[in-house]
Amino acid sequence: MKSCPYCAHVNREGVLFCEECGHPFSGKPVLITSQLMQDEFDNVQGRLTWGTARFDPSSKLVIHIRDVAEPMLLEPTEETLLGRSDDPAQPLVGLDLSPYGAAEHGVSRRHAAIRRGEDTLTLVDLGSTNGTHLNGQRLIPNQPRVLRDGDEIRLGKLIFHIFFK
Amino acid sequence: MDASQNLYVILGVPPEATQDDIREAYRVAARRFHPDANRNEGADHVFRDIATAYEVLGNPLNRAEYDNARRKFQDEPAYFTLRVTPSKRVLNMLEEPQVLYLLLEIVSMRGAAQQKRQSARLNLTLVLDRSTSMKGARLERVKFAAQQIIEQLTPEDVLSVVTFSDRSDVLIPASTVTDKLALRAMVNMMQADGGTEIFHGLSAGVEQCKRHLGTRMVNHIILLTDGRTFGDEQRCLELANTAAADGISISAMGIGDEWNDAFLDDLASRTGGSTTYINAPSAVVKFLNERVRALGDAYAERLHLTIAPDADVKLESVFRLSPNPQALDITREPVPLGTLEANKTALVLIQLQMPPGHKVGFRTVARLDVTGDILSFGRLGYKVLSDLSVEISESPPPEEPPLAVLDALGKLTLYRMQQKAEQSISKGNLVDGTRQLENLATRLLASGHEELAQMAMVEARRVSNTQSLSEEGRKSLKYGTRMLLALPVPGGEET
Repeated sequence: MKSCPYCAHVNREGVLFCEECGHPFSGKPVLITSQLMQDEFDNVQGRLTWGTARFDPSSKLVIHIRDVAEPMLLEPTEETLLGRSDDPAQPLVGLDLSPYGAAEHGVSRRHAAIRRGEDTLTLVDLGSTNGTHLNGQRLIPNQPRVLRDGDEIRLGKLIFHIFFK
Repeated sequence: MDASQNLYVILGVPPEATQDDIREAYRVAARRFHPDANRNEGADHVFRDIATAYEVLGNPLNRAEYDNARRKFQDEPAYFTLRVTPSKRVLNMLEEPQVLYLLLEIVSMRGAAQQKRQSARLNLTLVLDRSTSMKGARLERVKFAAQQIIEQLTPEDVLSVVTFSDRSDVLIPASTVTDKLALRAMVNMMQADGGTEIFHGLSAGVEQCKRHLGTRMVNHIILLTDGRTFGDEQRCLELANTAAADGISISAMGIGDEWNDAFLDDLASRTGGSTTYINAPSAVVKFLNERVRALGDAYAERLHLTIAPDADVKLESVFRLSPNPQALDITREPVPLGTLEANKTALVLIQLQMPPGHKVGFRTVARLDVTGDILSFGRLGYKVLSDLSVEISESPPPEEPPLAVLDALGKLTLYRMQQKAEQSISKGNLVDGTRQLENLATRLLASGHEELAQMAMVEARRVSNTQSLSEEGRKSLKYGTRMLLALPVPGGEET
């Protein structure tokens, strides 16, 4: 079995394109940048780019770090720290991004945190050096922002997408 | 005794095989395909061939007689050949089922176009909707298109034209196309009135087509409609079955947004034909002419595909990519594929599920056989078969799926996503449907089809606002994603 890095749908072995979202599993991904007609884009942007903000008690978080093939599955606690550690023997409690080139990408040790509310998740920047961006917008330190399914998070230069499952 | 088939190939033995070899080959084949051991639809079909072959070859007297009769087919060229490309040649040994795709290419004999003296003879019937809704530009375009077709045809061809609304009229009875002027004048007399009842028109059309039915001809009905028929769908489908049995194929063209695409798809695929969506009256002429031209280029007609998976392999879906992309009904064996054009390749994508935990080593997967009538050589019932095996290994070498398979499947995936979204929405599952449409838009955009991507996004938004798709958007997406499949396969020759 093989879970899709894009939508985390579990596919049977041998499937070449995700049966849920059509994401290709093999070969080099072909990305074609193309311009949408502006008015179309304005109309649908709000719906298309961001999904639901509802995060049920049973939900899990799928984290897809850019250029890393395997998605990560995370069960957020009340506060999940995002950052790196200097010593591999003492990993960060929370989500340790050191294995994914955190230092080179300018991730602070205590960079940001994901907090779990009743039905939502929020992202808060903990005063990091290089800043936290949510969907391209820089966050003001210590001001939580609600996360939605499909959001792009950038810590320094490290980019990843989150999906609710 | 039918000496036109190579019975040795069917049993999988060389012509110099001993009687013992033949008995053993039969035993192995029977274990694979006997209906008691293999419940797959196609296995029964294949086993009948095997049993017949054994009846002849298993008996030395019959065998000698067959060998004698077979001599005159010895120099027969390969009129068409099969090429089967699996998505993987070496499968990993797994404790879970896995999916295997087969790309089947039916390749017509090289240089077939040079060898045939002229285009294939057509026995063509046009069944044209003249209900009130056709009034105006649509009907004028249809008349013009029909007249152009008359110009295209030769005196060798047979043409009939039936018009229908809630009743049917034979406008031009089946006859050779000699007096083109008179035929064109008759077409001009079409007038719009009444409702749409397809069965009347179709049954009159089938009757006309049957009058000049020829095994050396392309027997084809083109049904053109813009409306929904009520209450007679089932009768139409039964009629299509009998037409297919007579060797007539039907292609359907729908104009505008009202017609019932699911019904016409079903109708056409039963006969090996296809459905086309015509969104503007101005496109009628182009589509009809293109269709008739393709029929004239026919090299082999009445192609039928039988897929017999091994007993533990499951056949999941079959899709014809070219000519004329169309999902095929796997519950019917053999599956009608329609026409093979000269110097062209027919492409079919087959999806199988392999069972978990088979033994290491080579194993058979499925037997495919294709029969067809080779028009320009007058060879009827020509048959080719291909037996596919793959290797099972504990540590298969890394292997990229063949480009041709990837490309075909990538496009098919888009079409399937659209189908899935449509299904979700019709079941009232709007959240899923919207998400699936958005996914489709993403994939369409990633593969460079901006116009369709935008259409998918607009429809996604429409669904979340109004809880349904627009008919036009739905059909445009369905036939738009389907047409992507007809685009040439890059690197298709490399495999």
